[in-house]
Amino acid sequence: AVAAAMWGALRGVRRPAAALRRGLAKAAGPRSIRQLREAEEAAPVFQYVGKAPKRKDRVFVWGFCYSGALGVPSFVKPDAGWKKPRRIQPTPYRLETAEKISSAACGYGFTLLSSNTTNITKVWGMGLNKDSQLGFQRSRRDQIKSYEYVLEPSPIPLPLEKPQQTRVLQVSCGRAHSLILTDSEGVFTMGNNSYGQCGRKVVEDETYSESHLIHQLKEFDSRVVQVVCGQDHSLFRTKKGAVYACGWGADGQTGLGHYNITSVPTKLHGDIAGVNIIQVSSYGDCCLAVSDEGDVFGWGNSEYLQLASVTETTQVNVPRHLPFKIGKIKEAACGGTGNIVLTEEGNVFVWGYGILGKGPNLTETAVPEMIPPSLFGWSDFNPDVRVAHVRCGLSQFAALTNRGELFVWGKNLRGCLGTGRMEDQYFPWRVTVPGEVVDVACGVDHMVSMVKSFT
Amino acid sequence: VSVLGVGHGNKLLTDLYNCHLTKVYTVGGLFGKATDDFSDTGKLVEKTTFDHITREKLERILAVIQGINHKALLMHSNIDMKTQEAYELAVKGLIRPMGKSPPIITAIRCLQFALPEFQLEIHCLHETQQYLRKIVHEIGLELKSSAVCTQVRRIRDGVFTLDDALLRTQWNLQSIQNAIWDCQLKVKTELEKTLG
Repeated sequence: AVAAAMWGALRGVRRPAAALRRGLAKAAGPRSIRQLREAEEAAPVFQYVGKAPKRKDRVFVWGFCYSGALGVPSFVKPDAGWKKPRRIQPTPYRLETAEKISSAACGYGFTLLSSNTTNITKVWGMGLNKDSQLGFQRSRRDQIKSYEYVLEPSPIPLPLEKPQQTRVLQVSCGRAHSLILTDSEGVFTMGNNSYGQCGRKVVEDETYSESHLIHQLKEFDSRVVQVVCGQDHSLFRTKKGAVYACGWGADGQTGLGHYNITSVPTKLHGDIAGVNIIQVSSYGDCCLAVSDEGDVFGWGNSEYLQLASVTETTQVNVPRHLPFKIGKIKEAACGGTGNIVLTEEGNVFVWGYGILGKGPNLTETAVPEMIPPSLFGWSDFNPDVRVAHVRCGLSQFAALTNRGELFVWGKNLRGCLGTGRMEDQYFPWRVTVPGEVVDVACGVDHMVSMVKSFT
Repeated sequence: VSVLGVGHGNKLLTDLYNCHLTKVYTVGGLFGKATDDFSDTGKLVEKTTFDHITREKLERILAVIQGINHKALLMHSNIDMKTQEAYELAVKGLIRPMGKSPPIITAIRCLQFALPEFQLEIHCLHETQQYLRKIVHEIGLELKSSAVCTQVRRIRDGVFTLDDALLRTQWNLQSIQNAIWDCQLKVKTELEKTLG
């Protein structure tokens, strides 16, 4: 009706006003073009954002909720009586955090978030805490007991010497233990130590729940720059390029030449002796390491053909060089049964067993197979889209492109892929996240991503 | 570009429609205003500042729009995602909805950017003019400002591009006959490729 009135005005039709003119208030009538333009210019200008707005950092979570690992209490214990608890969060859900999160790690039913701030609280944990993998979370009802399930991001108190100067660089989570890397005070370990994965001597019949013990590890050949948790073992990479390991070794995942447990971090030799390692990765019982020259080394479980290119044995307890002719390798990630590497040119290669990302027909391969870049958004229209990072969960893979898009594929265990559907995904699929994804951490049945908003 | 069929060509028109080929538009937009029908001739709803917008931010938003629409493309094409066939088609980029579907954008990029004006090139399927104007409006909202659409021009409809189009001055029998002759081969190959 408004549009019709406007058109009437523009054509110059006049309303018969004589009969209505009684000296009372006149009806508004259709406006002329000049009146419209004046009204437009006089309209107030709204400013939603300043001249140089900062892009905000956000955290998104999705996956299985009942363990509390997503950090949203209303999923497990709804705030209104009629609401039902949410079992699975199938799409990314925003998590409010107190500080900007710089590193996140997903374990088996729990999550750690850390910020590189100098404030006293630097690490938050949520999810399962039956082995004190989130430290001692003092219960409000009983001051002596600790919570078994932590439903929202709760600060983890660390015994730091200089709490207002030390920064937490990275966190990592395994099945029931966690590692926290600081810049000047070494590595802190908490959680289950039945196989020595926390780097301290195994105490018989130790109860790990409600334990206050946080162990500190400082003796390495140089500063530790990366910590990685496998299922029940831990790997440490130092600045000089050496790798240390401790924990369960029955599959050879400690790489120390034997199949026993190790309770003190010990240096690895084998094919990586003297090699400058720039990245280590593990999540299940297999481990991969990348050197500065682009070579990849592997050790640990090989029941799923992860190391079948060099050996027929199903367990490898010494690091072996994997002679792949796919180019210089930049980054590697290990999952439970499959492995993924990213080369310098930006190509993604997968091998192992499971849903590898090349359709339902490829279920196992010992030799790396490339995933076509067109599945990651590359096309003639966008020729400069490249994969920037690759990550692995237990049976899922994730890839981040340089445009900030997140692609996932693999087994969709309890909605952990975040696609909104419950079916397994056989080739890379975009996850719709309202922002540019900077980093993602994959767990068994949930994922956490660090995202920068668009403007 | 507006495609017309003459005589027997009308049957070819329905076949071309069933091919579901993409159309390409250049869309011009203006930042700072929001109107009720998303174009600059509508009733003004709001005015906003836009000096914080840069070309980089616009391109980021466009990349996201492409991503979301690519996902919609795969979902509406009614192929079972679990088959090897779906994987092969996805790799080649040939997955396309072959039936009715909501408007989907297959590609979008920024041609010109001069505050407050900008121009986009949009490749889309099953769209309407109102949908294109709405996209411009939503881009404005996403950049925390507002935008209206000033110009929509179709530059490609399936196999017919601007080069095949006839100008107003060329609307005579000889040019039309030549144009039909030139396009015949293109139309035939495209129909064979898609409909088999």
